[in-house]
Amino acid sequence: MAQRFKGRSLFLTALLCLASQGYAVGLGDMLERASQLSDKLHSLSTSLTNDLDTHFPPMGKILMPRPSMCHTASLQTPHDKDQALRVPESELLSIARALLLSWNDPLLLLASEAPTLSHPQNGAIYSKTRELQDQSNSLSSGLDRLIHKIGSSSKALSPLPLQGGDLGSDKNSRLINFYFLLSCFRRDSHKIDNFLKLLRCRAAKQDRC
Amino acid sequence: MMWGVMLILSLIFTDVVESTRLSPPGKPKLTGCRSPEKETFTCWWEPGPDGGLPTSYSLYYRKENSDTVHECPDYHTAGKNSCFFNKNDTSIWVNYNITVVATNALGRNVSDPVDVDVVYIVQPHMPENVTVVVQEVDGNDPSLLVRWEPPRKADTRSGWITLVYELRVKLEKEEKWEEHFAGQQKQFNIFSPHSGEVYMVQVRCKPDHGFWSEWSSTSYVTVPDYINRERSMWILIGVIAAFVFVVITWAVTVNRNSVKHFLLPPVPGPKIKGFDTQLLKAGKSEVLDHLVIQGFTSIPDFEDLLVEHFEVYDVEQELVLDGKDLQEVHLKSKDSSDSDSGRGSCDSHTLLMEKCGEPKVDQTTIMKDKVNQAGSGPLVRSNSHGYYMDAAKSADDTNRSWPTVFSSELPINKPSYHSIPEISKQWHTLGNHCPSTHKQDCLGKQPASYTYMPTNSECNISNSGHKRETTFQPSKSMEYVEVQKVEQENMLVLKPIAKARQDLYHLEFTGQDYSRVNGVVKDNILLLQKEMAAKDQELQNLVENYPQQQAGKPQIHMAVPLPYEGAHIASNGYVDTATILPTFSQASSQREAS
Repeated sequence: MAQRFKGRSLFLTALLCLASQGYAVGLGDMLERASQLSDKLHSLSTSLTNDLDTHFPPMGKILMPRPSMCHTASLQTPHDKDQALRVPESELLSIARALLLSWNDPLLLLASEAPTLSHPQNGAIYSKTRELQDQSNSLSSGLDRLIHKIGSSSKALSPLPLQGGDLGSDKNSRLINFYFLLSCFRRDSHKIDNFLKLLRCRAAKQDRC
Repeated sequence: MMWGVMLILSLIFTDVVESTRLSPPGKPKLTGCRSPEKETFTCWWEPGPDGGLPTSYSLYYRKENSDTVHECPDYHTAGKNSCFFNKNDTSIWVNYNITVVATNALGRNVSDPVDVDVVYIVQPHMPENVTVVVQEVDGNDPSLLVRWEPPRKADTRSGWITLVYELRVKLEKEEKWEEHFAGQQKQFNIFSPHSGEVYMVQVRCKPDHGFWSEWSSTSYVTVPDYINRERSMWILIGVIAAFVFVVITWAVTVNRNSVKHFLLPPVPGPKIKGFDTQLLKAGKSEVLDHLVIQGFTSIPDFEDLLVEHFEVYDVEQELVLDGKDLQEVHLKSKDSSDSDSGRGSCDSHTLLMEKCGEPKVDQTTIMKDKVNQAGSGPLVRSNSHGYYMDAAKSADDTNRSWPTVFSSELPINKPSYHSIPEISKQWHTLGNHCPSTHKQDCLGKQPASYTYMPTNSECNISNSGHKRETTFQPSKSMEYVEVQKVEQENMLVLKPIAKARQDLYHLEFTGQDYSRVNGVVKDNILLLQKEMAAKDQELQNLVENYPQQQAGKPQIHMAVPLPYEGAHIASNGYVDTATILPTFSQASSQREAS
């Protein structure tokens, strides 16, 4: 009798180990995939910024709004490593998701404005903004799954809407606002990427990072 | 007085000099900022002209979300003309607006401001502890294993910063580096290094979004001399063997034809005397076509078969008539006439015709062409010659012509054949006309068929008397070949092969290549066989026994080993089986005087 009980407990232990292992592997793979997407997202935004820099009016950066004017600036995020490491995983994931969702509409605006941008490379810029949209959509769906798996945080972070929703009337202001919006996204995408890579290493819990 | 002036002048001069040397400082320039690990960062500047006075430099910064201006917290850690921001003063994803102010006694100058976000200025330190070891695994060549550590300050374990690595390798004696991307891994294998050489290895790293670090200090490694002499010797042998093989292959390729001729000598082509292979090839198909519909095999079934002679018509006269018309004419003539005479022509130049033709040429016919009848002449060649019989003479000669086929001596044979027509009960004449085109086939293109000629019953059997009944008039040049006549139950057998059989008679031409009549079977079957040998005795027997054959109502049996050849005749209209049945068939052939 005792022997049978012992055997059953062993079996249950094995099942639990398998289940936990499967969970860990699944989460790690998902975070790996998500961090690849976020990495791509940020690289694309950097590439776009470089494209715009080639033909950007010298006074543009002076006239450009401060980064604190970004519509996502009010979203409280960690500003250094210590802060970031203190944030729970679910909250970090929620921040990343809120940041990304805040860019759904602005990315749409960028894609719609790119073809008519007064910039010699607006063709390449347009295709890259479209790609930004695609990557952003797939990443947001991935983040939804991750949140479903890890669990949503107690702090409900809602995405922030873009104020105005217009880049301006004249071509210079449109170009400057385009650039400004893109620089905001560049920073936020870096945040998302950095947070997801932190989560990736935590999920792996190995010395591979 | 003079001293006073000198003093004043010197003072003025000194003042002038002093005034040109001393000035407010020049404009300093911020050269850059760098964060090695996304936790701290350092900015450097270049001082401008100091204006001749002790000048101090201050760095001020203002964060984007604050109006407060701060001065650099640490001017010393990073060295001269630099400012170090420690962890507490460093925020990321925040713009720092940085300016440098140079100040001396005469004034101050402010550099152009620079906006810096730490995340965009990340350039890590170089990797550390780069080691290279030679790994020797049993049975394999050694490999170089390069290991390194990430820069000490970079926190890669938490994932705060992600580094990728690149290493470069070169032989110490060479100039060019060979670069390899290692990704995020911290070791790299270099396989198959050169034996006994010294390698130099360097590593650098880069954050996921940032700049490459400097190359690490060079690590040296010496590869052992793992290729020993024995191995070198085998390699040398292998190379030599390969070279020899290549040379041999080349030589064989170059001399391929001669080698092929040596190994596989060409098979000599068939050379048959008088056998024109080209003609055979050219006419093969047509010959076969003509041979398809032969009903000659049915001849043996005839109750009555009388062949009196062969006729060869001249093309010029009978060109108008085609085979069918001619055949009809013959049929009509047969009915209307007393059918006392039959006329046969040899369209296809069978052996029989050959034999028939020869004697006539000598005796009764006028030869338009050279008769190539000499015994030494090949059968094929003889076919190309036609025999033309004079119309006037033909009537007389028809009876003779057939016997002459079987006789070696023409004059002698002639008389003996007169009796032949009389034997037959019924006379059927089938006049077959060979159209000029067809005649070409018959004459020119039939070398192939001629080889079978003895077996062919291409000679038309005609009643000698029929000649006059036909609508067309034979020309003078026409020559008749009387073949034979057989009574109803008798068969005349024409056979190509000299098979041993119990023949009564053997008919041959002396000294000729042509087919000969092998014999007449007991049951009154005459066999024609192609044979070289000539036997006078048999010939005599033939002459002597011929009357007996007639008396026994010999039946002409045309042994046709190749039924297709018989078909040849039929297709040309030479043989009408329906008409043949009762009596005999007559075929006529024309020949163009070429």
